[in-house]
Amino acid sequence: MSKITAEDFELRKLPQLGYKVFTSYFLAMWVLVFMTVITLLGTLYQVDHGLFAAKQKYFHSWGLMHRIGDGFPLPGPLEWAKDLRIPLPGGFLLMLLLTINLTIGALIKVKKRAKGVGMLIAHFGMIFLLVSGFVTFAFNREGYMALYEGQDSNRVESYRQWQLEIIPLDESGKAEKALVIPPADLETIHKGEKRTFQSADLPFDVVLSDFVGNAVPVPVAAPIAKDAIGPEIDGYKLLVQKAAKEAEQNLPAVIASFRPKAEGGASVDAILSARSSNFDPREQPMAYGFEIDGKPYAARMVKWNWAVPFEVRLDKFIFERHPGVSMARSYESRITRVEGDADKAVEIKMNEPMRHGGFTFFQESFGPANARPGDAMYSQFAVHNNPADQWPLWSLVVTGIGLFIHFVLKLFDHTSRGRGRAPSSVTSTSA
Amino acid sequence: MKPLFRFLPIAALITLNSCSDPGPREIVEVRELSGKEQEIVVADSPAERFRMPSQMSGGAASGGAGEAALPFVWTTPEGWERQLGAPMRDLSFTIGEAKEGECYLSRLPGAGGGLTANVNRWRGQMGAEPMTDEEIAALPKKPLFGLEGVFVDVTGEFSGMGAAGAKPNYRMLGIILTSEAGAVFVKMTGPAELVAANEANFDLFCQSLKPR
Repeated sequence: MSKITAEDFELRKLPQLGYKVFTSYFLAMWVLVFMTVITLLGTLYQVDHGLFAAKQKYFHSWGLMHRIGDGFPLPGPLEWAKDLRIPLPGGFLLMLLLTINLTIGALIKVKKRAKGVGMLIAHFGMIFLLVSGFVTFAFNREGYMALYEGQDSNRVESYRQWQLEIIPLDESGKAEKALVIPPADLETIHKGEKRTFQSADLPFDVVLSDFVGNAVPVPVAAPIAKDAIGPEIDGYKLLVQKAAKEAEQNLPAVIASFRPKAEGGASVDAILSARSSNFDPREQPMAYGFEIDGKPYAARMVKWNWAVPFEVRLDKFIFERHPGVSMARSYESRITRVEGDADKAVEIKMNEPMRHGGFTFFQESFGPANARPGDAMYSQFAVHNNPADQWPLWSLVVTGIGLFIHFVLKLFDHTSRGRGRAPSSVTSTSA
Repeated sequence: MKPLFRFLPIAALITLNSCSDPGPREIVEVRELSGKEQEIVVADSPAERFRMPSQMSGGAASGGAGEAALPFVWTTPEGWERQLGAPMRDLSFTIGEAKEGECYLSRLPGAGGGLTANVNRWRGQMGAEPMTDEEIAALPKKPLFGLEGVFVDVTGEFSGMGAAGAKPNYRMLGIILTSEAGAVFVKMTGPAELVAANEANFDLFCQSLKPR
């Protein structure tokens, strides 16, 4: 690859300059250096801030400001520097640059020769791996499904995000549908903002405010309530909690005001909190009940959830502990997959997931955490919907084939050159 | 759509609509409920809905939670007298002939406001300066419910909740335990001499606490 000179910076030569930069070893080298740096810093950041926060800041970003003190306990004389911040490129930008660099440099610009076909295939495999990483990043949706034996479900719940449901009730307190305010509409409510939602199916508007990512409702009589925020509703206020290290432990809350569309109707206010869930698949979250225009409604925060196109019924959960301790030795689930009229028995074990209809069910964990021997236990599956699920495997196969071809060609090249030199060597010796 | 890609439409929206109020949003997603999901559980009270510990659901406030209602057992040290009806407290004892000292246990969901805030709130009640996170991390630990709680020992002028005025030469012993299951606070206050005489009882009481 040719060197970049001052002449390359002329306006008319900018496209060529871009081509040179994006195909340069210089760019590849610096991208790899920065990838090493952000991997190190991101791993250190994870210690104090958790995996999710580290991924978001260091690896799912265009750029970031790294605080020097994050992960590095600075010695006394340098402690003043701990709050200084240095700008760094994010993992997304670096992967994009590497993909462009590899694609143009190693596939397009490189001279196509029979001898180089192995390396060409190997580079294609590496680019395929980067592309599969991007597709996973952009389109993968993951959640979990937890079931006790005998339970069935077709719904997958998010680990970290919550939705708000408004539920019209009938006279017996039952419901047929829930109107959903999704996480994207909840999490973006700014401080001081009142966001209004409406539906033709509801005789009232829903006004949401004071969304907090992790909060606990506390009685105003509690001493710690002096630090609580927002309006007092039913004797409670919201106490903001520090964001949890593991993002799935954050329990958000929001202030909801249900305002009748008809003039003269009285508004109903409520604190809605994720703490109304107890995370047991046998129990539903506690809802807030209210009446407007003489009709009963309920409102609650539940995990953001979505449907898969089949039902999963847990027939048997096999769980074994190490002798004398509560630690799990092995666990697996026997399920029935129900799709229309077709039932299929499937075993899901560690490292033996069920793949079906674009969804992958992994045996993830079990609960409840405080279960004692003999207690009923639930099985939890991690559910991934990833279009690039098997792409990393294929890309490694392609890369492996490319390297194999390359080594075989090199071997032939080496042995044929050896054969070519032998006669002259013999001649020389005989001479 | 991932947050990274949300940026583009958001930027476009900001550019086009930076001066306009977006107005009410339509609720477009409707979820059909089936099976047990149709049986909606409506809580009777905020305490039930927020899954508050027992002392916040009115038990203690309205006359005291019975021993069986509490999810733990304990041993009452000699000379301590249990007080019923103390709001926000699971257990409350008076200590001393003139009942000038007290010890109580309370619980809160979550981190209960956080360790640092609570340690410094207690120190503030004794007129002591707040501590940094590093100083709090270095505080001694004492066992509580089989886990390690942060032990606070402060002497000074006590002006706690409901106190008529600052009480000089008081001492406070306390343990704060934060866990995923919630926060537990045990706190003893009283004249310094009385607290010193009951220091062993404080440890005995804390070590006797066990889940039921």
